Amino acid sequence: MAMTKSRRSRVTTIVRYVVLTLWATVAFFPIYWMVATSFKIDTQWFAWPPVYFPDPPTLANYLNVWFGAEQYAQTQYAISSQKPLISLMNSTIIATTSTFLAVAFGSVIAYGVSRYRILSEVRMFQLLMLRMIPPIVVVAPLSLYYSALGLLDSMFGLILIYFLTTLPYAVWMTKSFIDEVPREIEQAAEILGASRWRTVFEIVLPLIRSGLVATFLFILILTWSEYLLALIITKTQVTTLPVELSKYQGSTEGRVYGRQAALAVGITIPLMIVGLVIRKHLARGFSFGMVRR
Amino acid sequence: MTSVAAPAADASPRASTRESSRRRAIQRFRWSILAPLIALIAVVLLPVMFLQLYFSLHQWTVYLGTWWDAEWVGLDLFKDVLSDPRFGWAVVRSLVFATGSTIGCFVIGFALAYLMYKPFRGQAVYYIIFILPMLTVPVVVAYTAEMLLYQSGPLNDLITRLSGIEFKPQWLTNPNIALPTVMLLEIWNWTPFSFIIMLAGLAAVPKEPIEAAQILGASKWRIFWEVQLPLLRPVIFLALVLRFLEAMAEFPKTWALLQGGPGTATETLPVYIFLTTWQYFEISKGAAMSYIVMMMMIVIVLAAIGLLRREKRSLDAMYAQSKADG
Repeated sequence: MAMTKSRRSRVTTIVRYVVLTLWATVAFFPIYWMVATSFKIDTQWFAWPPVYFPDPPTLANYLNVWFGAEQYAQTQYAISSQKPLISLMNSTIIATTSTFLAVAFGSVIAYGVSRYRILSEVRMFQLLMLRMIPPIVVVAPLSLYYSALGLLDSMFGLILIYFLTTLPYAVWMTKSFIDEVPREIEQAAEILGASRWRTVFEIVLPLIRSGLVATFLFILILTWSEYLLALIITKTQVTTLPVELSKYQGSTEGRVYGRQAALAVGITIPLMIVGLVIRKHLARGFSFGMVRR
Repeated sequence: MTSVAAPAADASPRASTRESSRRRAIQRFRWSILAPLIALIAVVLLPVMFLQLYFSLHQWTVYLGTWWDAEWVGLDLFKDVLSDPRFGWAVVRSLVFATGSTIGCFVIGFALAYLMYKPFRGQAVYYIIFILPMLTVPVVVAYTAEMLLYQSGPLNDLITRLSGIEFKPQWLTNPNIALPTVMLLEIWNWTPFSFIIMLAGLAAVPKEPIEAAQILGASKWRIFWEVQLPLLRPVIFLALVLRFLEAMAEFPKTWALLQGGPGTATETLPVYIFLTTWQYFEISKGAAMSYIVMMMMIVIVLAAIGLLRREKRSLDAMYAQSKADG
């Protein structure tokens, strides 16, 4: 009896590892392929049979795409502008600013909701509509409105709309952290005569520091990878990295996989680092704080 | 008003004035937070809504003059959209895409979470690998897919080598499989979402009912169906509803990879609205279409919110329970 049971659990263990490893391969292979392609010389991007390991590995794609170094590239594929670095700067400024604003404002709303119910439960759920209605349905009138205001192709325009569309995440996620803080400390502060604003900024928000960082990084993931709004609202002055990447598609007659891959790796690495740092908080973020670990 | 509402049976007048001034302070606090929020939403969203309605009722394209001189056409544009078979097919495609990819993400994500929710060697490594697809920018997913899926590309080559059978589907150019291809990409990209939600859910399920069932000699299978699954219901709804809504809005992968093609094979609602507005420059038709889709999505989202509200209550109750148990 004991024998069969332990054998069965060993079989279960083996099956588990086989299934998990299988999916790990599926999950990882495309990422590997992107990285591998970014190190390939141009004859191997689209070769038959496919080249699985870059041989010889080259940095030409990175040097050309990111630094416009033409001497490393054959002229046919050379991308001479240094737009990706400008886009990197744009993306960084837009994503961090809008995320900071969303978390700053969102956490204050969250405090009010958690402690004083300044928004009823229904209103809190209605706030989610800012996120759940697909942006495509408002993007055309938004771009006309922005062009009337002169906000088209400006960082401020994109920051504003990112701020609004990520605010529900900020409110809900920080609220889930604030809900976990016992009220006694605030009540003590109130008795000692601290104003509500002082209580928020000097007691509650410092207590959920790590939660605020997690929320900030989580929303950074969303804004960093956003594509549709950036595509419509930015034209030439301000482009973000995802939009910049899409410009390499179809713009030339030849396939520029290696260059695209080098750009794609550069876009993805910061996102993966951020995501792995807050990996324990991702479920909370994506579920608006409803599911916790 | 507030002093009348206060339960002032035994309270002294001083206490009740303090109470009412506290309430006024809370109201001030409340509106100093909400006023900017409401103002912001009003300044950004109301004009957008107005413009959308305006363009739905007036015929205008960028070739015509100033948009405020556009011709009033009443509901013609709505009739135009609703009688457009291409729009109907886009609705169908979007629903098929969202439903299919939601189910795919959920089944795989749940299975992986079930295999992983108890500690084992290598758990952390698998977790990290499994969440990587979610941490890849959607546009990057599209271009990487192109590098993988061309007919003599690495995916077909690998499958041919491993199985020994010639495997050469035209993932991106065959109109019959282009939409399933995009669905597979969506599943690859967002299975981590269902996975992490279900993993967190499985970890939060109270232990006692499962242990009780084990003592009673129930099989793993029965424990799963009759104990764990009912307890997981709120988390399951959450994983399905949120994923479905996001899939309905999916644009970057579909657009960057195929722009709705081949033909109209991957023309989902966001893609068709985008094409109408920014490729055919039929701003007004695009606006009418957006309006219809927005109404449709509001109905869906309100239903989803109703569901989420109900399930969040049972979820909160579950967390309160597990907190009380220590």
